[in-house]
Amino acid sequence: MLFLVLIKMRLFVEPFLRGGFGVELIYSFVIIVCSLMVYFGTKELYGLSSHKGIKYFRQAFLFFAIAYFFRSLIKFLLIFFNVRAIFDFSPRAFGILTLFLFMYFSSMAVFYLLYSVMWKKWDGNSKKVYLFHLLALVIAFGSTISMNLQLRLGLNIFLFIFVAFVVYIAYKNSREKKKGYNLYVIYTLLFAFWILNILDILIPNFLQTFQLFIYLASSGIFLLILYKVLKKTGS
Amino acid sequence: MEKRGKLRIIKDILQIIQENQNSIKSTPLLRKSNLSSQRFSEYLTMLLEKKLVKEIEDKQGKKCFTLTDKGFKYLRRYEIIVGFIDEFGL
Repeated sequence: MLFLVLIKMRLFVEPFLRGGFGVELIYSFVIIVCSLMVYFGTKELYGLSSHKGIKYFRQAFLFFAIAYFFRSLIKFLLIFFNVRAIFDFSPRAFGILTLFLFMYFSSMAVFYLLYSVMWKKWDGNSKKVYLFHLLALVIAFGSTISMNLQLRLGLNIFLFIFVAFVVYIAYKNSREKKKGYNLYVIYTLLFAFWILNILDILIPNFLQTFQLFIYLASSGIFLLILYKVLKKTGS
Repeated sequence: MEKRGKLRIIKDILQIIQENQNSIKSTPLLRKSNLSSQRFSEYLTMLLEKKLVKEIEDKQGKKCFTLTDKGFKYLRRYEIIVGFIDEFGL
């Protein structure tokens, strides 16, 4: 019985391991596991302190996990469980929907990460979160509906410049206060690789040569953040 | 004198309760916490809502404040919470 299950699993899994999808799947899995570990590893600290910075920081990683679930894991699960045999859906429409969700959740994750370091400066006004949701929706719509590559590229480059600028201001402030600013370099790298990830999805073949490098570097940054979180929380 | 943050004020109030054999009346708690009565009242309400402290009656039937398990945990984890916030610039 177990042998049959293993053979069946192998038949399903094999096509994914061919080409780039296998690597992408492993990469997404690493990001999801790291993000969820950060989210659950900080649960107690937030439960005790109700600190807004910790709240947005946790939400950022929850949204990263959801985004990467829609990036590739959901496709794997749908094919693995042969969902198309039960529900007939267009693969193209499904692709657009998952891309939209990936863009929305990953943009929100970045906005939450930004908000976690800037919430005090922005007066802790939680209404800004709605503005971020709106911006993330615009980015997701612009990236999925528009076929114009320049618009897609422009939108994401604008977003990166905006994020880099905010991180720079946060970095300057923390340097003045002489406390914990060493992580801003990691944040900037995270945002840079996030943009490269998006370009890799939106404009296929654009970064094909460097795909593996982008995956490795992005995973490395997530693992580094996870390590720092676990070290600090004593989890 | 350095301005205390919210987390620090919570820690100070909890520590005062703990150092008083985990039972203290409202008036000495207000005096020892170095807060205005309005801010003290806000903090006390928040601590009760978050279940970090609870209200009990002492042997004379007077109302006192005591730490809950969550309150003790907060004191134990305070340095970790502050360290985490500083490390990630939150």
